[in-house]
Amino acid sequence: MTALGAFCVSVHKDVCVNARMPGKCAMCAEVCPYGVYALDSATGEVHIQNYNACVGCRICAEFCPANAIRINPAESEQISRYPWTLGAVEEIHYKAQTGEYMLRGFGTLGPTPHFDTINVVPSQIASAAPLDKYREECDLEVVIGEDTCEQPIRLKAPFVWAAMSFGALSKEAKMALAIGAAMTGIATNTGEGGLVPEEAWLSRGYADERRERKQWEPGGYLIIQWSTGRWGVSADYVNSGDAVEVKIGQGAKPGMGGHLLGAKVTEDVSRVRGVPVGSDALSPCRYYDVQSLDDMKHMVAFLRDVTDYRYPILFKLGPSRPYADVAACIEAGADAISIDGLMGGTGCSPDLVTQGVGIPTIACLPPAVQALKDYGVHRKVKLIALGGIRNGLDAFKAMAMGADAVGFGSAAEVAMGCRVCFACQKGNCPYGITSQKPEMRARLDPLEAGQRLANFIHACTEEVKILTMLSGHRRIADLSTEDLRAMDVNTAAITGLKLIGYDRPLAMWESVSPAALLPHGGNGRTQRERRDKKPGAPARRRVAAKGR
Amino acid sequence: MKTIDAKGKTLKIVNRALKQSLNGQPVTVRNAGRVHGLAAGLRHGELIVRGNAGDYLGALNSGATITVTQDAGRYLADNMTAGLVVVEGRAEYGAAQYGYGGAVVVRGDAGDFTATMNKGATVIVCGNVGDDVGTYMLKGDLIVVGNAGERFANYLIRGSVYIGGAWTSLGHNTRVEPLSGEDVARLRAYFETYGIAADPGAFKKVVAASEKPFYN
Repeated sequence: MTALGAFCVSVHKDVCVNARMPGKCAMCAEVCPYGVYALDSATGEVHIQNYNACVGCRICAEFCPANAIRINPAESEQISRYPWTLGAVEEIHYKAQTGEYMLRGFGTLGPTPHFDTINVVPSQIASAAPLDKYREECDLEVVIGEDTCEQPIRLKAPFVWAAMSFGALSKEAKMALAIGAAMTGIATNTGEGGLVPEEAWLSRGYADERRERKQWEPGGYLIIQWSTGRWGVSADYVNSGDAVEVKIGQGAKPGMGGHLLGAKVTEDVSRVRGVPVGSDALSPCRYYDVQSLDDMKHMVAFLRDVTDYRYPILFKLGPSRPYADVAACIEAGADAISIDGLMGGTGCSPDLVTQGVGIPTIACLPPAVQALKDYGVHRKVKLIALGGIRNGLDAFKAMAMGADAVGFGSAAEVAMGCRVCFACQKGNCPYGITSQKPEMRARLDPLEAGQRLANFIHACTEEVKILTMLSGHRRIADLSTEDLRAMDVNTAAITGLKLIGYDRPLAMWESVSPAALLPHGGNGRTQRERRDKKPGAPARRRVAAKGR
Repeated sequence: MKTIDAKGKTLKIVNRALKQSLNGQPVTVRNAGRVHGLAAGLRHGELIVRGNAGDYLGALNSGATITVTQDAGRYLADNMTAGLVVVEGRAEYGAAQYGYGGAVVVRGDAGDFTATMNKGATVIVCGNVGDDVGTYMLKGDLIVVGNAGERFANYLIRGSVYIGGAWTSLGHNTRVEPLSGEDVARLRAYFETYGIAADPGAFKKVVAASEKPFYN
């Protein structure tokens, strides 16, 4: 499924200024970056020249002085013509004409198992009583690297901005994310495209480089990403933040490296990345300087050394084999692990990879949590859930499934003004978020967007607080799968949550050990440890008998 | 001259001792073959590794001069931004990757994937190199005095690649260009600076066929 041909553009001629007075207004043709409208210079009339080019960004409707434009999704087609929808037909035509596969931005489209089929169960009389959201306190702080680093990160709310690079995003968008983080005490992430200098002080709450007076309280944190492309990376770079995130993969294109098309490689981006202006910056899919888990351990060791053992080391994983991957990250010495599900967004990816590679976020969490529990580090090594988190409800569900915090990526872009048109890769973002063009960037005010982001975080924080307290908890760390129910058999089967009505997990979850899902069927140690933890298991009885 | 014996010591202890000892005088480190990440992120100073060095020697080097008297491990001078790293013996897999600046000189042979994603460093190998050397190089100079293996300078984007011997196969997006007078002078200057006995006139130059070999 693609965004091609997914929208119908209609102009109400009775109110359109150009239709009534040709030559008087051509705002739609002026602002549309995709050539949907054409201005006839001889007559001054505006025509719709290419319906199928519309990506649904709605910038024309925003700018239309007469409110004459309607952009309607061609959704009914999904029912009447599926699978031969206009989008599918257009995609084949595109491939037949160009010989190229489709590239696009943003995340997965279409129905996929997600948080929507999970509901929260509140406290009543049988469990701990609910708490009063309006008059009682709730602890939402999340600390990363508390026992391992000299300067742990203390998030004021269980949120981070997902890693989005400078290059994929405009400088203004990166600054807005930093300001939003500073206003709310959460963390922003450089992404793999190097550091925008302003990020370093804005994210900590300072308005300028001198860092004399805090402009925004409480001040946030900056996570420095260390990635396979190593764009703009130096010893100074890794020391300019509050944590280092080792990127292994991402949800939108697991198994592939970052894609930044030449259209977005401007002078500024070129300076940071070292790629010629206009040439694609394609990060490698793996670290050329890591061949084994031992190498990764050594890499983490020297990163800790270069940062003088002050900052936490995070890992970011794509959705692949969560149990085995999370176990490897723990072995490599992670202080926190971000796991990005299938719904994770991107600035650019082959459509088939975004759409058809990886597993949904809700399917990543149970095995990831199991790995943390098997290693005895659940809630110590923090788990950050990413990929399609839209609000406090999704965040709460992820945290009740075992995550310690969640990341907003796509949602943060939307909070800044994005209308989700899936065309980030073209560099024409009419809202200035994913464009490097000066005229588009001028439309995004970092301060205003930063305030919008902060408002969004405030709202989500309150949402999480409501749900935590009505579930009878004072701390988000106390949330558990008991606070959730799966609404259908599929979700219960995927997540191991109790099924509504049946009110217990499906029997399949009693017998299957996630350790058996390791690439080689699991090793003896973790399986033995799992068995030891089960009440009444032989190993446990032996230990108990010895104790007496 | 201060000497640190790294035998049986952790990276943290060795590197802390190293940083405390670098005060104008060169420092010698012995038994460093099992220390991975030695001298990571150093900004100044001179270091001599007596014997073999471990993996990730001089990672994120930002200005130090490091000499290894025998062989270096894998990923030598990883992601270096400034300084000089000289290896008198061989360098294993992945030397001088992701370098932004500075120079790496290997007197012996170097392994596969040497100078991968080089973004501005000068990398000189006096012996032969393995496969995939100079992959996705974006800037800087790569000079191989001996022979190269498969896919030499694969997907080269920018920068200059010089080779004195032969390659088994040349990578994608490459083109062989005749040496100009400027190239010869440049090579001669490098050879004089680092004391390398080679005839600059006998080298071949490989450049990128296109700066845009991917989607556009």
